[in-house]
Amino acid sequence: MLNNFANFCNPLLMRRSLFLVIAVSLYIAGCAPMIPRVHAAFASIPDQTPETRIQLIQSVDVRLSTGYSRKLEAGSIWRLTGHLPQGRVYRSIGAPFTIEGAQVHEAYLVVYDGSLTGFYLPGEHMMSPLSTPIPLSIKGNT
Amino acid sequence: MKLFRAIFGGIAFALLTSGCASGVPYASMVSSIPPLKDGEGRIFFFRSGSMVGAAVTSDIQLNGEIVGKSQSGGFFFVDRPAGSYTAATSTEVEKSLSFALDSGEIKYVRSSISMGVLVGRVVLELEAPESARNELADLKFTGHLSRSAVARNTMATTAKASPSPTGKVTLDDLRGLLPAK
Repeated sequence: MLNNFANFCNPLLMRRSLFLVIAVSLYIAGCAPMIPRVHAAFASIPDQTPETRIQLIQSVDVRLSTGYSRKLEAGSIWRLTGHLPQGRVYRSIGAPFTIEGAQVHEAYLVVYDGSLTGFYLPGEHMMSPLSTPIPLSIKGNT
Repeated sequence: MKLFRAIFGGIAFALLTSGCASGVPYASMVSSIPPLKDGEGRIFFFRSGSMVGAAVTSDIQLNGEIVGKSQSGGFFFVDRPAGSYTAATSTEVEKSLSFALDSGEIKYVRSSISMGVLVGRVVLELEAPESARNELADLKFTGHLSRSAVARNTMATTAKASPSPTGKVTLDDLRGLLPAK
């Protein structure tokens, strides 16, 4: 008993314990970085425009710079909702799509020349560009 | 020792249930939910009735305004003009969700508990309408619906269902004005 108490009071052990507690705390805190965002000059398509849709033929895993990843499901359908200089903007039909960093953001796909170039964040009127465009296998007009 | 156990059990029970929602079940009030106004959308905030982290609650802010509380097993909704919104909760850190709301659109925002350093965190995410509606059926309303809106809507429903053949107002027609039992 006395031996245990002596061990507990050992400065080296206490320092180690403190370090462990801090390390675990930081791990749990999971200080995820903010997603990168740039200004977006979004132009929505006129209301009268016939609806344009695309469908993903193959699923795609998107690894975000925040460490989180998102899967674009095969068969998911997306509706053209506007344009950005970085590409056409498509909104998910059905289940909402979000991306995540320190916070969560609803996101639309930005597609240029058949590749995903980033995400438009309609709640913030910003764009989160991908460092490398990801080719998409799409059925429909991009 | 027995007394200690009883006290501990009581405290644990109180902590577990203190954050649980108490209110009208969704099924009982769904007919009282007023229709959307032109140019507005609706945001449902809900949290499943899980006992994990049930004691952890947080105010929910929408564009900086407190609109309700995240409580285990509870839901509420707000109607807002179409536009861009950020919903946020705050425990040991602030967690937020940004999204767009269209006119006539209904968005479903789920709050849930994730692990934190000292206390759990209330995180928000968008939920698919179909699964959200399934889950709402088991939840209780923790928001505020104006009595006039409930009465107006209930009266309209009653009038549609059983119009008075004489055109006179009967006691049954006024049933919607009475407070819920």
